[in-house]
Parts: sequence; structure tokens; C-alpha cells
Amino acid sequence: MAREPELSHTLHLSAVSPSYYRFHVEHLQSDDYSKDKDAPALIGEMDSSGSLNAHALLHLTERVRARTVFQTQQSQFVTWQFETEYRGNDFTAAVTVANPDIPRESVILVAHFLQSVSSGLVLGGELVYHRGRAEEGGILTLAGQYSRPNWVATLNAGKGGAHASYYHRASKQIQVGVEFEASTRTQETTTSFGYQMELPEANMVFRGMINSRCIIGGVLEKRLTPLPATLIMGAFVNHRGDKLQVGLGVNVG
Amino acid sequence: MGSVLAASAPNPPPTASGGIGAAPAPGMTVPPGFGIPSISPVAPTGQEQEADPPLPNPGAFDECHRKCKEVFPMQMEGVRLFVNKGLSNHFQVNHTLLLSTTGDSTYRFGATYVGTKQMGPAEFFPVIVGDMDNSGSLNAQIIHQVADRVRSKLAFQTQQNKFVNWQGDAEIKGEDFTATVTLGNPDVVVGSGIVVTHYLQSVTPALALGGELVYHRRPGEEGTVVSLVGRYTGSNYIATLTLGSAGAHASYYHRANEQLQLGVEYEASTRMQDTSVSFGYQLDVPKANLLFKGSVDSNWVVGATLEKKLLPLPLSLVLCTFLNHQKNKFQCGFGVTIG
Repeated sequence: MAREPELSHTLHLSAVSPSYYRFHVEHLQSDDYSKDKDAPALIGEMDSSGSLNAHALLHLTERVRARTVFQTQQSQFVTWQFETEYRGNDFTAAVTVANPDIPRESVILVAHFLQSVSSGLVLGGELVYHRGRAEEGGILTLAGQYSRPNWVATLNAGKGGAHASYYHRASKQIQVGVEFEASTRTQETTTSFGYQMELPEANMVFRGMINSRCIIGGVLEKRLTPLPATLIMGAFVNHRGDKLQVGLGVNVG
Repeated sequence: MGSVLAASAPNPPPTASGGIGAAPAPGMTVPPGFGIPSISPVAPTGQEQEADPPLPNPGAFDECHRKCKEVFPMQMEGVRLFVNKGLSNHFQVNHTLLLSTTGDSTYRFGATYVGTKQMGPAEFFPVIVGDMDNSGSLNAQIIHQVADRVRSKLAFQTQQNKFVNWQGDAEIKGEDFTATVTLGNPDVVVGSGIVVTHYLQSVTPALALGGELVYHRRPGEEGTVVSLVGRYTGSNYIATLTLGSAGAHASYYHRANEQLQLGVEYEASTRMQDTSVSFGYQLDVPKANLLFKGSVDSNWVVGATLEKKLLPLPLSLVLCTFLNHQKNKFQCGFGVTIG
């Protein structure tokens, strides 16, 4: 049985960028996709400036999934990509064709492969081939992830840089994450430390973050029972540039 | 009793029970207020229905528009932390940390000392209030009851190490009038200064009239600005009007019920040649420990403030957003008050 489409309206009033209204629709498949496999999952989002974001997800067979993504900036298409994914017993392989442009002879091809090596260890790689009128090139990145009941460690390393992350669930209420990013293109590295504290008795979730770029941030989310509303308050301070950003949000429903 | 006779003397002579001040001869019509008050042979007692109660003191001149202004939300942006701690019955300190998105962030330390001379149920004198900025800017005020009816105030303000404001004033609270003389930024060396005199008189229990005279002098020029003020207090409303050569300011405050208060304000300035109208309301929900203030302006500014006391903690949360439609500017801020 297909579910009803879910709608959401977002009104964003911003002090630094233009304010916008966004309309979002999700029509997801039912859980038992084998019965309804012909019905795609559709997600669409439209901005008050006309920018569109559309995803379509289709289960072709039990193991093969196809996905299409379109993104426009006002009236101009910036992304159009087609992806096919095959789920084996202990591996996943995906091929994506992004922004194929026959008149300009440009395309980006991405191939992903992830293999479960042991109960906790997953190894894989990503190959990106991009081609334009004047140049073409390929980038290979290797990925590894090791999971245990309480923590997950991930490492991506390639010619473009490295990305390592560590997630730890300290207790039922506290989760901690550390992230390290290095980019050869911008010649920069960043280390971030973040934590999430959940207080279900107080209907509150607090997330804090501190960064090697001297950015400290915190976001507090509180559910205002009995109203079906959530209040979000966030503040980010960039000590190096001496800038402060403050935000307030209300989620209804 | 809105008669002119009542206005001329602070304690009008009590009239006889039969008349309302005038007892004209039969057949003769007398303009109101011109009759001869009849003198009762019996001394008036407290049960006299027609006895004029003494006129109340009209309050300070600066407070005339205050009730209406308090209804409007205060604009703030960034993150504000305010910690207030009372060290004793006489002394309290406060720390304010303001992280601003647009300007500089500041830390401010303030102290308040309240003396031992008691003048009323909750009024103690002298009151010494001071606060200092992280850049060295100081604000200091000393308020003292010098004599039975005379209150004096000295105020100083500096911007870093330079004095920008130094003033002294004396306020005389009579039975039904208030007079204030303020001497601002007197500079004997340069020969400049500002003298402001205020006078506010209760004309009837509901009506108060007054005026303000500002004389400013600088080497080379001097001038005066006069403005008149009138305030009418009803059962649940206050209407105030200030008219002067610098402009006009009219405000109306209305208490609709226990929870809702409204205010409308009109300001016209001859110097800047523009007028503005603002409408504000305050919604008080004590059961939810909530205070909501909203305002709409003729400059296309819409703003709201929400204040919530987070019991049982001695904590108060303030959320504030202001949107200027004309300039397309949005400002939001929140603050936490502890203690």
C-alpha cells in the first residue's frame, strides 16, 4: 500500500543570504517493495526563486536499484545524474553517470564498490572519471570502515586527499564524533570534534562542535510538548574571524 | 470635579452636600466655575460625597510616555547572557556578556548599591548604580533624597576614557505637581551647557498638564526649545500628548484585560521631517510563565519578543526577531538571564 505523500513547507528568513520559501513533497514507496516494485519513490523540492531539486528512486529488481537526480538553480540545470546500484550478498556496486552533455562532450562517471571482508570490516573504493572538451582525468579513492557495537571508524584515502572519521556511542545519551579531513587541492587539513547529548526526559537534544578552524558551535533542540512543535536554537562563533552566527527555528509537525 | 476653581488651589474648599460648587440665585445662569461656593455650617467629614479628594502627584515628567513604551518589544541581536547576583540586601552585581553578530562583542560588569534611608515601601536611598564595559566605558548614577520632597541625581557617562555625559538634576515632588531642573554637560571653560526644566501639574485626578523648557548654549549659539505635555488617565487607558517646536509625540496605552495590553504611538519630528506610527501589544500568560510582545511599525518593521521563565531553574529565556520589510533586513537574537 502506497503511503500518502508527505508535504513540508520551509520558510527561511536570513540575515546574511536571501530569504526563501521552500516546498517539499515526498512520495515514498511502501515498505514491502517487492509488491509495489513498479512504483518509484519520488522526492521533489521547489524554492521561491524557482530552484528545483528532484529525486526518483526505482527498484528495478530485488537487487538492482536505479536513481535519478535533477537539480536546477532557478531555470538552469546544474545537476542531472543517473545511478544504478547492485546489491549482492556481501557487496554493493554502483555506477553513476553525472551531467552527461553530448554537445559539449563532457561527462562525469563514478563507480563505487564496497565489499564486506569480515563481520566488522568493509573495504571498497571509488573511481571517478571526468571528461571535458579540453581535459580528462581519473581519481581513485580507497575506503575502509570498521564497526564494533559501540564505535565505527572510517577512512577514505586517495589522490584528492584523505578523510578519517571516528564515531563513538559513550552511553545511551552521549554520542561523540571526531573527523579529520585533508585536501591536496586546497592544501588544508581540518580536525573537528563533535558531541550529541540526548535528554529524552527533558525532550531535549544538544549538539556541540569545536573545530581546528577555531569555530565553536552549539545547537539545542527542544520538543515543546504538548504542542507538536520543536524549537531549535543555534549559535556558531568563528573566533579567528570574530564572527557570530545565531539562528532560531520552529518545526511544526 | 473638573471645575477651574479646583485647579487654582491645591486643596479646593469642600462644597456643601447639596451643590456642586455653584449655588446661583434662582433664575440666573452662571457659567460653570463662576458661582460662589456655599459654605456649609457643619465641618465636612470624610463621608462628604462631593468633597474633592486631594489631587495625586502626577509622577515624573519622563514617565509620561513610559507605560506605552514598555509594551513594545526591545530589539536585540546576537547572544546575550545576563547573570544577576544579590550579595546582600543592599548590594547586587550583574555580569552581561553580549556576543554580537554585527558589531563588537562586549562584557559588562555592573554593581548597584542601595542605602539605608527609607522613603517608601520599597524605596531606599541613596542608590548608586554603576557599570563598566570591557573597553572601559563607564556609566554611573547616584540618586539621593536630599530633603523631604527633593530628590537629586548625578549621572556620568564615558566612552572609553572620554566623558561624554555629566549631568545633575533636582526633582521636587509637591502634593500635586512635579518640578525638575537638570543641568547637562556644563562646561565652564568652553562656556557651554544645557539646562532643562520640567513641570508637571495634576489639573484633575485624571488630567495632568505640563511643559518642558530646554535651553542650550554653545560658544557662538544658544537656543531654547519649549514643549507642552498633556496626559489623561482613564480607568484602563492612558493618553499622552507632547507638542513642541521639535515635533509631536502622542501615545495611547490601553489595558484590554489582565493578560493583554496595547499601545499605539505616533511620533513626528520637525528636524528629520518624518513621522512614524507604531502599534504594539503585550500578552502576559503567567500560568505558562510567558511574556510575548509584538510590534508593527509604519517603517515596515515587524518584531516580536518572547520571554519565558524556565522554572524551577532561576533562568529566563528571551527570543527576539525583527524583520524590516522595506530594507529586507532580518535580525534575530536570544538571551538567557540567570538570577
